[in-house]
Amino acid sequence: MSRQGFRTISVIVAGVLLTIVTWWQFGPRSPAPWTDTDIELLYSLSIHSLPTLASDTSNAVADNANAARFGQRLFFDTRLSANGRVSCATCHQPERRFSDGFPKGRGISLSDRNTRSIVGAAHSPWQYWDGRRDSQWAQALSPLENPAEHGGNRMQYVRFISRDPGYRVHYEALFGPLPNFDDTSRFPANASPATGSQEQAAWAAMSPADQRLVNGVFVNLGKAIAAYERLILPGSSRFDDYVNALADGNVVEAADALSIDEVLGLQLFIDKARCTKCHNGPLLTNNEFHNTGMLSYPGDLPDRGRIEAVHKVLEDPFNCLGEYSDDPDRHCPELTYVRTGIELVGAMRTPSLRNLGGTAPYGHKGQQASLDKVLAQYNESPDAMIGHNEAEFALGLSRRELKWLEAFLNALDAPLATSEEWLIRPAELDSRK
Amino acid sequence: MCKAVIITVLALSLNTNASAEDDTWLTRSGIYRISFQSELDPIIINRIHTWVLQVTTPEGQPIAGAKITATGGMPEHNHGLPTDPRMTEQLGDGRYRFEGFRFHMNGQWELTLTIDVEGQRDTVVIALTI
Repeated sequence: MSRQGFRTISVIVAGVLLTIVTWWQFGPRSPAPWTDTDIELLYSLSIHSLPTLASDTSNAVADNANAARFGQRLFFDTRLSANGRVSCATCHQPERRFSDGFPKGRGISLSDRNTRSIVGAAHSPWQYWDGRRDSQWAQALSPLENPAEHGGNRMQYVRFISRDPGYRVHYEALFGPLPNFDDTSRFPANASPATGSQEQAAWAAMSPADQRLVNGVFVNLGKAIAAYERLILPGSSRFDDYVNALADGNVVEAADALSIDEVLGLQLFIDKARCTKCHNGPLLTNNEFHNTGMLSYPGDLPDRGRIEAVHKVLEDPFNCLGEYSDDPDRHCPELTYVRTGIELVGAMRTPSLRNLGGTAPYGHKGQQASLDKVLAQYNESPDAMIGHNEAEFALGLSRRELKWLEAFLNALDAPLATSEEWLIRPAELDSRK
Repeated sequence: MCKAVIITVLALSLNTNASAEDDTWLTRSGIYRISFQSELDPIIINRIHTWVLQVTTPEGQPIAGAKITATGGMPEHNHGLPTDPRMTEQLGDGRYRFEGFRFHMNGQWELTLTIDVEGQRDTVVIALTI
């Protein structure tokens, strides 16, 4: 090659390199200005759009502060378990935004799915990944009798409450006199229709009236726990500060709230990455059920999700339409008009994106150890192992775009809106008095 | 027409005889004219609510005794409605209460209403942008 030719090629190569560096530094790193429509959408995602928590007419003590205090004690009490070592807070840890940091919950043994945070869960018409319970009080009862979680049975729990002097006072002040469960010929040591075969046989031998007595107390424990859980609500994040500043037209405050990378991530979030199709509203979830092709947990069969849970919630004796609901009108539109159908195969309830920082790993089985892995999953959009992946189009985001999106998601972290007295163990609270 | 719900009738692409005039839609074979009023105005996502449907002749005479069913979804996402809304009450004057509507995403929705009056059945597709 001639000297002249070499120089020409060198200049071209240098020019290309300079263009790449310039593009990297300055090109797409300036966020486009928001349109009025964008700002309206952003406001709909902000915590300021979160409505006042609707009353739970199926739970007469849902908004009773004494019930919440009683519920808080129950929530943290490991005596409500088969081995005396598991409480609700074992998996729903306040310091981890009421989740546990494990792929799957660890109570008595390993549970089937990842522990969902209960932050803001009172706003959802459905509980669990698959929505198999339709209220927080009905949900709270289920782990108590799950052999992998608390591992006990309802007869054991109601007897424990009736014999504990402290709890007895709390309970009777809220719900009236406790039945006398001392007669073991009527009320065996262990009995439940929902646990092991021996307990089921013992339950079947009880009279329907006695079964209702036990269920009535058991349900009230759930209602007190739910009164507590309703207080666990998300707080305002830097994203919410940003939207507030935008709405006020305060550019300086907006720039203080989110970095350029985070704003670029937000733009992707509402547009190219199509996250708001499901992660919408102020909790960044539509609380609906979608199959997004999440791969199965190693060694597990694919999870059938909502398609099986629909029947469970409809048949649940503790559902909104059941005899233990406190709503005299049984006004339960979500349950009454619940859908079923093949598209629910493998579908799971959209999780909130608030406080992701404290709640890894992600996915219904905790399949994804970190946020970048979740984003990679959506970026590639594999075929679902069962059913149909609704997010069927690969996003095709670049590595930089994925980083921006992750940066934005982390800007949704915030301290809870719940005061500290509700976030600590009652024993600790007592010691401060 | 409510502010935030832009109702677009895709008359050509969906091959219906629907007409958006006066917020009413003519059914496919031209037998009925229908309109609706939502309890939520504007309709917002993620909230279950009730509609009142009005069924009349094409000329506007109220029709009693109709049985109405609804199906639908988001064609773009290949999924159906998140609920199973149903007609729950005849209110008289050709009006019918329809409960259990909820929309869980912003975007284009299509609702197919089937109206059956003593065996005379006709359908209409309503396109909604929510």
